[in-house]
Amino acid sequence: MNAETANGSYLEVANLVKYFGDDRAVDGISFGVPQGKFLTLLGPSGCGKTTTLMCIAGLHKPDAGDIRIGSNAVASVSRGEFMPPEKRDIGMVFQSYAIWPHMTVSQNVAYPLEIRKLDRSEIDDRVREAIRLVGLEDMAEKGATQLSGGQQQRAALARAIVSHPCLLLFDEPLSNLDLKLRERMRVELKRIQHEVGITSIYVTHDQAEALVMSDDIIVMSKGRIEQTGGPHAIYARPTNRYVSNFIGIANLLEGRVTRAGGDRGEIEVAQGESRLLAPCLLAEGLAEGDAAVLSVRPENIEAVKSKPSGPAVEGEVVQTVFLGNWLDCRVRWGEFEWKVQAHPREGLRTGDKVYVCLDPDHTLAVRP
Amino acid sequence: MAFLEINKLVKKFGQEVAVAGIDLAVEKGEFVTLLGPSGCGKTTTLRCIAGLEHPDNGEIRIEGEPVTSTEQDIFLTPEDRNLGMVFQSYAVWPHMTVFDNVAFGLKIRRTGRAETKEKTTKALELVGLAHLADRYATKLSGGQRQRVALARAIVYGPRVILFDEPLSNLDAKLREQMRIELVRLQHEVGITSVYVTHDQTEALVMSDRVVVMDKGVIQQIDDPETIYARPANAFVANFIGVANLLEGKFLSHEGKFADIEIRTGNGAPLRLRALGGESASPGQKVILSLRPEDVHLHLQPPGQTLNVLEGAIIDTVYQGNFLDCQVQVGPHEVGVQMDHFEQLSPGQKVYMTFEPDHGLCLTE
Amino acid sequence: MTTEAAPSDIQVIRPSKWRGIFTQETIATSVASFIVAIAVILPLMALVVNSFLVLDDMGFDTEWGLANYSEIFKGRIIRKAFLNTLFISSMCTVLATFFGVSLAWINARTNCPWREKLEPFNLVPFFLSPFVGAIAWHNLASPKVGLLNNWARSLFGIQGHLFNVDNIFGIIWVTGIFFTPLVYLFVIGSLRRMDPSLEDSARTTGAGLWRTTMSVTLPLVTPAILSGAIIVFVTSAGEFGVPFKLGSPYGYETLTTQIFTKAVGDDANHYLGAAMSMILGVITGLFIWIQQRIIAPRAYTTVTGKGFRPNVIDLGRWKWAAFAYNLGYVFVAVALPILCLVIVSLHPVWQGRVIPNDLTSINYQKVLFFWSPNSISAATNGIKNSFILASIGASIAMLLAIVISYMIHRTKGFGSRILDFLCVVPIGFPGIVLAMGVLVTYIKTPIYATLWILLLGYITRFFPYGQRNISSIMLAVSEELDQSSRMAGATWVTTLRRITIPLLKPGIFAGWVLLFVIFLRELSISIILYTAGTETLSVGVYYLSNFENEPLTAALSVAQTVVLLLCVVIFRKVAGKEALTA
Repeated sequence: MNAETANGSYLEVANLVKYFGDDRAVDGISFGVPQGKFLTLLGPSGCGKTTTLMCIAGLHKPDAGDIRIGSNAVASVSRGEFMPPEKRDIGMVFQSYAIWPHMTVSQNVAYPLEIRKLDRSEIDDRVREAIRLVGLEDMAEKGATQLSGGQQQRAALARAIVSHPCLLLFDEPLSNLDLKLRERMRVELKRIQHEVGITSIYVTHDQAEALVMSDDIIVMSKGRIEQTGGPHAIYARPTNRYVSNFIGIANLLEGRVTRAGGDRGEIEVAQGESRLLAPCLLAEGLAEGDAAVLSVRPENIEAVKSKPSGPAVEGEVVQTVFLGNWLDCRVRWGEFEWKVQAHPREGLRTGDKVYVCLDPDHTLAVRP
Repeated sequence: MAFLEINKLVKKFGQEVAVAGIDLAVEKGEFVTLLGPSGCGKTTTLRCIAGLEHPDNGEIRIEGEPVTSTEQDIFLTPEDRNLGMVFQSYAVWPHMTVFDNVAFGLKIRRTGRAETKEKTTKALELVGLAHLADRYATKLSGGQRQRVALARAIVYGPRVILFDEPLSNLDAKLREQMRIELVRLQHEVGITSVYVTHDQTEALVMSDRVVVMDKGVIQQIDDPETIYARPANAFVANFIGVANLLEGKFLSHEGKFADIEIRTGNGAPLRLRALGGESASPGQKVILSLRPEDVHLHLQPPGQTLNVLEGAIIDTVYQGNFLDCQVQVGPHEVGVQMDHFEQLSPGQKVYMTFEPDHGLCLTE
Repeated sequence: MTTEAAPSDIQVIRPSKWRGIFTQETIATSVASFIVAIAVILPLMALVVNSFLVLDDMGFDTEWGLANYSEIFKGRIIRKAFLNTLFISSMCTVLATFFGVSLAWINARTNCPWREKLEPFNLVPFFLSPFVGAIAWHNLASPKVGLLNNWARSLFGIQGHLFNVDNIFGIIWVTGIFFTPLVYLFVIGSLRRMDPSLEDSARTTGAGLWRTTMSVTLPLVTPAILSGAIIVFVTSAGEFGVPFKLGSPYGYETLTTQIFTKAVGDDANHYLGAAMSMILGVITGLFIWIQQRIIAPRAYTTVTGKGFRPNVIDLGRWKWAAFAYNLGYVFVAVALPILCLVIVSLHPVWQGRVIPNDLTSINYQKVLFFWSPNSISAATNGIKNSFILASIGASIAMLLAIVISYMIHRTKGFGSRILDFLCVVPIGFPGIVLAMGVLVTYIKTPIYATLWILLLGYITRFFPYGQRNISSIMLAVSEELDQSSRMAGATWVTTLRRITIPLLKPGIFAGWVLLFVIFLRELSISIILYTAGTETLSVGVYYLSNFENEPLTAALSVAQTVVLLLCVVIFRKVAGKEALTA
């Protein structure tokens, strides 16, 4: 159970391919997860993240590749091995909660243990413990249909962890909840996972969820991996245009690297006659003269009325939207509109002439 | 006299009081939002204006003319009020084309054929759907349906347009885009609008004035900036944006500021200064409201002595553009938003400061 | 953490198409499809083949030819029967649609008093036997022995008669009121699911109540009305009992009564009967195809936003008229017929009026007390056989329904689409047509003249009703409920036993009761396939009506009705109010 191979991964997926018809839903991806860690597969719908999860669960049969959990090769297409889902010892939480409506909460939670033919007394103990962990003590004997969405999701989580599986899989478990509840459940889910310490794979299209919960994030698109890293690395140092655009909000402008040295450099972008030479951080592999994309987040841009000393371009405020703690501004520069997050107290108004200046530590040149 | 006036409106459903006597005046051309959690009576109020609910008491006047008055026993049916309404479920008729949906109100009003065509086309152009005029409503996306619903509601020039959470069925990105578009359209047409939503961002972005409601009662009516910066009570402070609400005791007035005492970790009282508290008297129980983005976090003791709180990190949550920190200060949990990433571990000792201008003393 | 950029040129050996076909699931679906296909297709094929076989004048030999079909269009009686069928079905559809739509609207959208109390009674005719209804109405309104006519004569001194149901209009009247619930169910479901803001928005746009109803509400329920109307048309075209009771004896034949005469009796000609069945089957099949493939998919699915109560229209003083109208329907469709049957059944001989001194229970003894020497075996046999057929038939049909639904919705194998289609086919053909097919298929096998052939006919014709009950629940039950059981460590069989079947239980039981009801009152299949000793309940009623007297007929009818009414109560208990709503 605790076997980790030399490279330290508890779960390992190698060269996984899955077709639907002629469609390569998963196009040869490989990754590993160390024991006890929380990994998120993040991407838009149709990027292959759920299919990958289903292959790990054993609910889909891969067309190529290997999957190993601990010391068990659970699927290996080349050797023709495939372990059915019920043998894999995995806990799974579904988007629709999938709480069985004809059972009470504790019957739902007890089910995996009954299947494993445990003693009644041990079942009772472990069910009580799992229900306590998710905070549903008061609802234990209620029928599943009497629970709210959030409570059903807690019950589903209790059911998934009660048998102490070697792996936990989450298939967009929070996407049916409303915003406030979702935000609360994110933190709670993370806390419970931390407490039980089970290696977890989490699938979502919600980048905020991924940033809040994960130890590591894999950003996927069209069945492939775009970038892998910790939440801060993914948010602060995206390596290509796709990731920049998908995670958070970014101003993206096509340009060319004019200077490169180590991970620092300079990128040139232009709008008509106006040019901007911006000192920036370079994504791996970019060299002088390469086509690149300038990426900078709205909160890292300042729009000021007097000309600053550093590199800046002049533009006109074309739209301001009051959002309480900040002012969402659009500043027109040629054809391009900068998205800028300004403080309401700065008092920017539509029609103001402003200078847009970028912070070199937060300005990136990424691969197109 | 205001363009739309509501006086002492009451509506009960069985024993439950949905709207408990509210007064509201909307000026011509104004965009007013009724904001509150579900069950606060905002939708019921809107449906009373539309004539879809019979109020139990009160009066509603449009352009001075009473459309509902329990006193004078007046109740105009919805079709006689000349209003436009956009529904949450879009309610675009699936058996008609986009054009027929929009033209419906004109046909009811026996508008000539040529004029109907001209006005309908114009309304469709306004919402950017002229190219889909012959499409059946079932073939449209959610966002497109909502545009049809909007065109249908404005095409015959109603006196007021009513919105019942029109964006809540759309996904986040589309919602953001539609907010801006709706405001632009409303400005362009200049029509008096009453908008119902539970989404505070929507209310802040779109409205000239926001009416915050809870439990059938109006909590505050103000422009978005005031609602956010100077909430009238703890409910509004917490419902609009996120606020730390710390219970304390009022000490004294210091110019435009109020001095408040709160309890801290070792039981020692701490004196803090904030805006507001005009009506408070010494010794009275008050609430200090602090927005997480207005609190600054320091790892070393700061140089100042005014408004310094000492605490220990409980937890941090990385949100991308900021770091959410929960800090324990005596019996209170204070949320702080940091705009840069920093490795903080639970239990770590930190200091927090805030400008007196950014704190608010609320009396309850 | 080990990752690598995705190489897209990984060599993949795509599984060959053939290996993909031979998995457990696809083999299982194919086998099931095959069984169902045999049961459904074979009788229909036999019907086609036999319809082209022409019996020679001697009645012994056959040869291929189109003479059967030309006979249908040349023969005066059959042509008349064909036109009668079309006329009766059309008028019945108009009548049932009028009643169904108006009653549905009153119950779903107005403040008609006590509508929650009345609503269940509107559905009662759905469960009762139209044949028994015809018997009741014959005793109520035939010119000579009709109770109503006798009352009219004695109370108002009318000469002759006030009503006469022993003709085409009588057939239309009885089928119309009995098939009203078919339209009612479609329309009330559609009205209740409609998003109220669709109407609200018409009101705020400036349309009044009338305009809103005509331009928004009505068009939106049109697909439901059309669906209901087509079902009524097809059902009434295939109805045998009512024209047999109210038409045949008075010279008004329909296709079904004509098919009956060609199937049994002295004049039997299975080949001509097959040809007539073909004509009827093609018409009904076509209509059902139109309903299933063209109208049903157009039904407007409306999104409901907030859970606002459906709009209720205040009828003012007219609400009492609406109430009286609804009560009137329940009175003529349920109360009056049953009351009349009870009265008739208590007389030794029925002379069209109540004779208090003669009241007796002898009729019930004759039809129910199978141990008594003067019991009538056609009736007592019928009761026994019908209970056997209904309980075994409903059980087998539901088992088949579960297996087939599971295959259609969960395995998605290659056979599942064929299965889906095969489940619609029997609905397109009237019982009497299918029975004709079963008869010509199995007449030379040992199962002929046993209960087995009846069972086969029942199940083939009606299992789709059970299958739809199960399918609708299976669609509503997320597949993730099954999958999460697999993830919890349960095998496929355990999952089926502990999760899938328990979840379907209410649907299984509701479907079982529904089939039990249908089988218990079944006439048109039984009448073709029964022989002495294998009578069913409805055949018993037919026998008594034809060869004994009206009071005995009424007694057995009352007995059948009581059992059916009990089933209605059970059905509502287990299935809940909305279960039947299309």
